[in-house]
Amino acid sequence: MKDRNNALSLITYLNLVYVPLATSFSEESAKAFGLDRDGAMRLTLACEEIFVYLCQTGRLDEPITVEAMDGKYYVQVRFLFQDPEFNPRAFNLTARVSFDDTDSLNEMGLLIASRTVDRFHIAGTPRLGLELALIKEKAYSELADLNVPEIKPGRSFVVKTPEPESLKLFSRLIAAHYPENASPPAFRLPGKLVDMISSGEYGAALAISEGGDIGGGVLWRWVGNKTVESFGPYLFNQPSGAELANNLLDSCLGRIAKTDAVGLLHRWGTPELPRSYFEPLGTIDFIQADGLTTSRPVYYRHLNEDLGCRVWTHPDLEDFLQAEYGRLYFAREIRLIRHGGERRPAHSVFATQFDRARGQVTLRAIWDGEDVAENLAQHVAILKAENLRNMFFEVDLAYAWQANLLQALTENKFRPRLILPYGGEADVVVFQYAEGT
Amino acid sequence: MGIESISFEKLVPDYVKRFEPYIPSKPDRELMKLYGCDHLYRLNNNENPLGPPPAARETLRRFNPPRAAVYPSGDSYYLRQKLAERHGLKPDQFLVGNGANEVIAFVIKAFCQEGDNIITADKTFAVYEWVAEFSGFKARLVPLKNFRFDDQGMLEQIDERTKILFVCNPNNPTGTYWDEATLRRFLDAIAVHQIVVVDEAYIEFVEKNDCPDGMKLLREYPNLIVFRTFSKMYGLAGLRIGYLAGALETVDIIRRTCVVYSVNGIAQEAALAALDDDEHIRRTRELVSREKAFLAREFARLGLTTQAGEGCYVMIRLPMSDTLAYRKLMAQGVMVRSMTGFRYPNWIRVSIGTHEAMEAFIKALQTILAKS
Repeated sequence: MKDRNNALSLITYLNLVYVPLATSFSEESAKAFGLDRDGAMRLTLACEEIFVYLCQTGRLDEPITVEAMDGKYYVQVRFLFQDPEFNPRAFNLTARVSFDDTDSLNEMGLLIASRTVDRFHIAGTPRLGLELALIKEKAYSELADLNVPEIKPGRSFVVKTPEPESLKLFSRLIAAHYPENASPPAFRLPGKLVDMISSGEYGAALAISEGGDIGGGVLWRWVGNKTVESFGPYLFNQPSGAELANNLLDSCLGRIAKTDAVGLLHRWGTPELPRSYFEPLGTIDFIQADGLTTSRPVYYRHLNEDLGCRVWTHPDLEDFLQAEYGRLYFAREIRLIRHGGERRPAHSVFATQFDRARGQVTLRAIWDGEDVAENLAQHVAILKAENLRNMFFEVDLAYAWQANLLQALTENKFRPRLILPYGGEADVVVFQYAEGT
Repeated sequence: MGIESISFEKLVPDYVKRFEPYIPSKPDRELMKLYGCDHLYRLNNNENPLGPPPAARETLRRFNPPRAAVYPSGDSYYLRQKLAERHGLKPDQFLVGNGANEVIAFVIKAFCQEGDNIITADKTFAVYEWVAEFSGFKARLVPLKNFRFDDQGMLEQIDERTKILFVCNPNNPTGTYWDEATLRRFLDAIAVHQIVVVDEAYIEFVEKNDCPDGMKLLREYPNLIVFRTFSKMYGLAGLRIGYLAGALETVDIIRRTCVVYSVNGIAQEAALAALDDDEHIRRTRELVSREKAFLAREFARLGLTTQAGEGCYVMIRLPMSDTLAYRKLMAQGVMVRSMTGFRYPNWIRVSIGTHEAMEAFIKALQTILAKS
């Protein structure tokens, strides 16, 4: 059934007899949306794993929607279903098909699925609806040569929304003028960058002279519902401290100022970044594939007048929060959680978000449980085995039970690195796993 | 029926789903508690520091509480009589609303239908854009030119589905204005094909002689509508009352989309009493002029770039994020308007207040700049 130009959906039932239906739907959709044969096959394999896994863990013959979407530079397949009886523990990456079978490591369907795609996430609750999403990015040709036109300084530039050909040139200019760590790798693939912008997930503003020279540019993308992330600004042969960098950021801010965005995050800076536009949130240690660790500053800019909010914290995190809120001038009513001996549910559940290209994984708790420390330890063990070097855990301070996870996080070597204002329902504290601490 | 069973996906129009709700600031007491300050100078809403004129104060004092049980005049009968007398027009040429914001909605509802658009500037009072967008009409935003509405740029954006052009004169927040020749040229170019709204919310603050009085042009241009408010110069912002004026036949159309009884009785009476007080206007202008001169000296001393024109406000460009400056100033008990939302990143707008408030603002600003 065709819903929109870029999305197809299949409504079927959790039953192994429908496995071929779900897999052929995924495969044919992936091909129709432009994935090459290898990519389509990998996505299909992951979909098969997920479907079989859900058939084994969910209620037989429960309806399920499989949705394929063309994201221009990727294809996404989502499994959506609502089953109040579904055992949420099955959403843990560490869950086995059978909870009694402790040695069936190879049967961890979610983990297997995650290996063959680029991004994977689990979200939701059994009551409101569950979602598993698999994303496979399309293949693009690498830059053949780095020859780019010379940009003369001193030209007069106008900041514009670029056409595809300007974007491709911009991509080559980034590759020619900046080291690899100044931008996500995708920005150096001209065709991919064009598709990323036309997907609507990314935005771009370029400084273009009357003669068509590109003096620089800035890119941005939505991260969730309330945050935008900006990249750059990238300037080519422009004097240091050039007003152009400000103009580019002004253009980006002008485009997002009247949207739902509350904050602008900046993690891929260049030396030309006008620091006065941002507030330093802190740093994240990023472990590269070669094992080298680099410390990356994270900048932020709030986009509106802060109305203040209430946050929950474990007493042991209060000093960190007080210090950060004081430094950033965010008005917060900090409430301490107090455990009164009440019973917690037996089992916790974590949502997982993979970015295998960067060796990165982010965990969030979607269900509290007595076993939270043990569950987290199992996740860490598996993720380390999967060579996911950069592990993060995000705690939403809107929820007292999430604030209460501190002890489990500390026991498992997660340390608070920074606060992301309004990164969730309220502020989010980003914890990073640090081996040896 | 529980809220979970409502299908908002189907019920809510796409243009409403896309719209970001505006969340106004919390009451002073809550803000002071949040930011840990024992006082708060509100310099964010361009209110008149002198408050309402004496006659309006007296009217408010004399209001007899039992009268709150009786409906007010549904169409602000006496106030429209008074406005007609003051501007040399007919009472039916006026429509009074619950603040000028309401009359914006009257006009858009009266003239726009699916597929239509309105034109205004990108950096101006945001409510024209908001009302159009959340009503399902496209707002075409023309960039300001040198802080000023770009008349030519606006004319170029007109197409067969353009219904209304909104001009804020003088402009909030830049304080720039079109002189009479520019406004006439603009109206002549449009002829009578579209409605032109000139929002004169700050007209009573203007000291320059060449800024036009839109009311005087109504006889010549039947497609011209002028907005005025009692919230700024007349210090009645808390009572929410504003109005529009236009040609009889134009106002007759707008009256069809006007919500009667939306203006409360005490607001109508206070506005009526305020209108005659020219001395209040003189005293307010004197205060605004004096404090603007004080601020200009202080900004020059601090080496800050500013944009100040007509109106009871000044824009300042800061060497830091305006939203961070907002929070830092709040922590010192000073509330300004951050301007990223106006598409002026790193600028703030400060309303002219009493000298004490202006001194407090400069002191706080100096402190945050020294620390940044």
